[in-house]
Formats: sequence, structure tokens, C-alpha cells
Amino acid sequence: MSVISCKALSKKYDDVLALNGVDLNVEKGEFFGLLGPNGAGKTTLLKILTGQIGATEGTAEVLGLDVEKDRLGVKRKIGIVPEQESPPSFLTPREVLEMVVAIRETENPEIEWWLEFFEMKPLEGRVCRNLSRGQRQKVMLAAAFISQTELLFLDEPFINLDPIVQTKVRDWLVDFVKEGGTVFLNTHMLENAQRLCDRAAIIHEGKIQSLISLEKLNQQKMNLEELFREIVL
Amino acid sequence: MNKLIIHKMLLEEIRLNTSFASGKGFYAFPILVVLAGLLAVLFSDEIINDMGYSAFLESCHISILFYGVFTGFLAFFGNDFLERIFGYLGLIIGLPSTQPISQRRMTMLYFIKEIIFYSIFTLVPALIGALIGAYSIGLDLINVTKFGLSLFLSFTTGLSFAYLTSSLYRISLPFAISGGLLLILTYGFLFRNFQITPGLDWYLNGYIEMLFIAMIVPILISIIATIFVHENYEPKVMQKIGYKDRLAEYTKKFEWAKWMSVPVIVSKERIDLQRSQTGTKMFFSFAFPLGILTFMNWFIDKGLPIQIDFNTIFYGVMIGFFGTMLYSWLNTIDSPNFYSTLPVTVSEVIRARLVLFLTITWWIPLLFMALIAYMSSEMNLLPIGIVVMIAVGIYIVNYTAWTTGLRTNSALFDAIIFIKFFFVSVPPMIAMTILSLAINHKPSVILIALATICGFLSLMSIFFYNKIETRWKTEAFD
Repeated sequence: MSVISCKALSKKYDDVLALNGVDLNVEKGEFFGLLGPNGAGKTTLLKILTGQIGATEGTAEVLGLDVEKDRLGVKRKIGIVPEQESPPSFLTPREVLEMVVAIRETENPEIEWWLEFFEMKPLEGRVCRNLSRGQRQKVMLAAAFISQTELLFLDEPFINLDPIVQTKVRDWLVDFVKEGGTVFLNTHMLENAQRLCDRAAIIHEGKIQSLISLEKLNQQKMNLEELFREIVL
Repeated sequence: MNKLIIHKMLLEEIRLNTSFASGKGFYAFPILVVLAGLLAVLFSDEIINDMGYSAFLESCHISILFYGVFTGFLAFFGNDFLERIFGYLGLIIGLPSTQPISQRRMTMLYFIKEIIFYSIFTLVPALIGALIGAYSIGLDLINVTKFGLSLFLSFTTGLSFAYLTSSLYRISLPFAISGGLLLILTYGFLFRNFQITPGLDWYLNGYIEMLFIAMIVPILISIIATIFVHENYEPKVMQKIGYKDRLAEYTKKFEWAKWMSVPVIVSKERIDLQRSQTGTKMFFSFAFPLGILTFMNWFIDKGLPIQIDFNTIFYGVMIGFFGTMLYSWLNTIDSPNFYSTLPVTVSEVIRARLVLFLTITWWIPLLFMALIAYMSSEMNLLPIGIVVMIAVGIYIVNYTAWTTGLRTNSALFDAIIFIKFFFVSVPPMIAMTILSLAINHKPSVILIALATICGFLSLMSIFFYNKIETRWKTEAFD
């Protein structure tokens, strides 16, 4: 069953064609990676699929909802970690999580658990503006994970995280997928994608250039980095 | 290399402006200025008849001097606000932090860029408009050009004031205040026996040495400013620890506002307002235009042969209008980008900020109203003044919210939005100002007229408020 599907999706910013006729399907329970060099269109695609911006052409459906027609409905059903770590500047991490669960009307939110998970207890009483980039990224991840949604869109989620937290997040995501959740991961950290993804697409100059299952890639005795270089260079 | 940097800075300034206003709107602005220059000359005879020749010229120079100060402050402090609204913003002026070029040199080049940019986009178009007007009514074109040059020199003087103050501010706030005061006193002392600016003195009296002084003053001030530029400036970072969690408490308090917005969003915005200490900034930003208004009041009293007393109702109109500033401040506190990850619409955030405008920041205009009524011994007019202030304030703020959303400052740079704003705000203000001045002649008639306009503005406020949803519901936070 597809949880994400898009057809002929294009996005034009003035003179720049950021996405050019993208067709894509992601199945429920998949760990899907979207890889590509800088400026390839990864973030644009993620923003369209999550209802943050509109497409110029084409259609997109997420969890059975037409993204263009029901942006709020889509956002209610998904968790998003955007490219930039931008939690509200003047709220404490706890307040950010309180706000998120209030807006999403999350039942039994595990605020304490997530503060503990991301080692944010020592940050109590500090506003996000004064946190380091890595700490702010933890707040963003916690805000997405606490939403208890079945689909997560993550744009470079491991950037600025220390190796210990990276491992914790990776492990949690693997468990999340095992339990039936779906992850759409945007990254150019190929090592993480290689480790985590079931399937990956490589996007370059706004077009999907390759779509492959990691299992098949392994059978071909290739890794993502080699494939990436072959396509992009 | 200097030429190259200035060229790149000019390109950056244009691209920055066109990125937050539409390209058409931005490039239409000089046309608006040409028209303003044209009208100023066409109506100059009437104004001079009313004010007197020298008072008219003086007011032109004072205005352009303040314009220089204002644009200078906007240039040297505006980037902080832009970063708050748009998130990270890298500008060429920040290059010294990573490249082997001194901050002094870069700031000096930035100052020169400001002069060129504002000259091209405002002063030159104004002069072109003035020359067209002068040609059509038979004024001496050389004389108008000469006056334009004198205005340019006053503009650069104002800009250099801002440059120096901002350089001193980066050392410390007390340094900036004392340095600024010293500069004003020195300037006042040196030119006590001359016109308000050396440029005007040269224009009126024709002494070539005054032209020389008019050119030297901004150069000298900017050299001093450059010397004071701090090479290793580190912006002050607020590192307070120990904030209490207030979100749940405020959410409960704003439960009543759920017919307007989501209480937890109002609560978040309320906390932003408190912790960013924007209330203090709002207060002082009110004091500045009111100070200018009081100065104008004094100036018109001095310049016009008839006595005009601007009363508390008039100030009610003005203070209500300044409500736009309060709403605009609410939009500069924090970037709204985080909301894009949540099931929240832009219109809900706009309405949350309107709730704050109505409930939390109301004390600022009220305080000023009470103060003005007390100082003018017009406490009897205070209730009417407050009603007028509320009606004008709600009207103008709802219109601003509807048309500019969460990006008020940048949207008003768009000439098309600005012109619409002008036509929506100015006519009711003129009508109410005229009525306020006539209050002592036929009080009952004037009160009925004022009540009618207030009623009309209230109805329009509801109309604008309802429009917010359709205009902004599907807009992106980006």
C-alpha cells in the first residue's frame, strides 16, 4: 500500500526549474532514502509532499490525502524535521513539545520520555535561541517524534548531532519502521542511507535518475556511494 | 577592489529588496518618488504662501536630514530584524568574519553604498520630478538643481550621524548615547549662527565656503565613525537560564480567544513578546514618532500665521495609526518557520498576533493618550480620544494584517502595497483630523460625525478581519 505517491511533480521558482516531472511511490513500512547533490531538488520535493509549499504541476498524495487540497490534513498525519533547525527562539525545549502536542492533540504525549531520550533535561529553563545547533536539532527531532504519526519526513536529520545521539536516533528509527512506521529520509550522508534504507532514489537536476532497492544494490556488489558517483559525476 | 565590493553591495541591496517586495513593486517606488517631487514643486507656491519661504526650505532640510538618519539606522541596525524574520541572512558586510578584509573598510564601503543606493532610488527621482514640475511652472531649473544638491548634502549629513551612532553603539550603549548627544550639541553650537544645515546656508546665501563646509561635515563625521568601528565586534548574546515553563499557564489564560485563534499559538506568541523584551522597544518606538509629531505641532504653530492647536482627539487619530507599528513589531520577534512543520495556517498565526495586539500591547497607546491629555489639560477629551484611537487602531491594524500578513515591514517596501495602504489610511485620518480641530466650534455636530466615521471604520475592520482567512489560509510560512 502506497503512503506517498506523486505523479509528474514539477516546481518552478521564477526562472529555476527545481523539480522536473517527478514520479514516485513509497510503500507503507518502508525506510525510503532520497539522495542527491546540493541543489538537486531534495528539499523542494520534501516540502511539496509535506504541504509546506505548493507544486507548479503534477499531483501528490500522502496517506491517501491530496496534498494540494488538504495541506492541514496531511500535516496532522505526518511528522516533519525540516532542513534548518528552527525551533521557536523564545520557548524552552519542554514548552516546544507542549505546544506541539497541544496543536496536534496528541493523546498521552511522552514529553518526559523524549526530553530524557535526547538528554534535554539539563537544558530546562533555557530558551531555544541560546542552544547550540545540535541541541536545537534535538528539539526538532523530538517535536517530530512525539507526534506519534505513522509517517516521518526527515530532511538531513543527523546534521549537527554528536555520534552517540546519531546512533540513538538511527536505532529508534529502525524500531519505528519495524513497528509499521514509514520514513522518508532526505540526505547526502550516504553512509547513513546505506545503513538504514530499504530503497533509495537519487535525484539530480530536479529529476529522479535512479530508484533502487538496497538489497538489489548489494547483490550487484555496489554501494550507494558508487551509484551516486556514477549518476552525478 | 573597493569599486567591486560597492558594486556587489548594490546588487545585494537590490536583490534583497526585490526578494521581499515584488520586483514590480520595488522598481515602481522611484516612479512614486518622481510624482512626489513633481507635486511638491507644483504646490510649492501655496505652501510658501502659508509657511513662508525660509520656513518651507527649512522644513525640507529638516525632513531630509531625518530621512538620512532614518535610512542610516535602518541600514546599520535593520539586518538584525531581517535575520529574525527570515532566519539566517548572510550579507557582504559580514565578510570580515571569514575573509582577510578589515571591518572598518567594509563598514565604510557599506556607508558609501547606502549613499549611492538611496540617491539613485529616492533623491535622483525626486529631483527629476521637481525639475519636471519646475519646467512646467517656469521655475529656474538651475536653481532647483542647486536646491537638490543642498538637500543631498543634508541627507549625507543625516546618514553620517546614524553611521557614527551605530559605530559607537557597537562599543557600548552609553558610549552611543553620550557620543550622539555630544555630536548634536557640537553641531548645534558650531552652526548656531547659521541655517539649520550648511547646505541650506549655501543655497540661501551663496557663500562658497558654506558649500565646502556642507561637504566636509558628513565626510568628517563618517571618518570619525570609521575610526570608531570595532574590528572584533561580538554581538551581545542573551544567555539567561532559569525560564519558568509558562506555555500551559498562558494557554489556559487565552482559552477565551479560541474563536479568534488557537490558544496555544497565542500563548507561544505571548511568551515570545515577554522574553524578547519587545514591549520596551515598542514603547520607545512610539515615543519617537510622537516626539516628531509634537515637534511638527510646534513648528506649524511657529510657521503658520493662524494658531492651530492639535488636541487629544487628533493625537488619538495619530496614536491609533501607530498601531501598525505595534503589529509590525509583533512580526519581528521570531521567525515563523517552525509553524510550517505543524498543522497550523498562516491566518491562525496572524489572528493570534491580533489577539496580542488587542490584549497585551494596548497599554502602550493608552499610556501615551493619557499622558498627552494630561499634559494638554484636556482630560475631558480623553474618553473621545480613546474611542477614536481604538477605532483607528483596529481599522488600520486589521488592514495591515490582511494585506501584509506576517511580513509587514518587508511588504510595505512594495510600492503597490504601500500605495494601497496610503489610500486606505490617509483619507479617514484627514477627515478625523479636520473634525478634531473643529471640535470647539460645533461640538455636537462634530461628535456625531466622529461617531459615524468610527462606526464606519469598525465595520471596515470586521470586513478586513474576515478577509484574513481567505487571503492567508493556504499561504506558506516560507
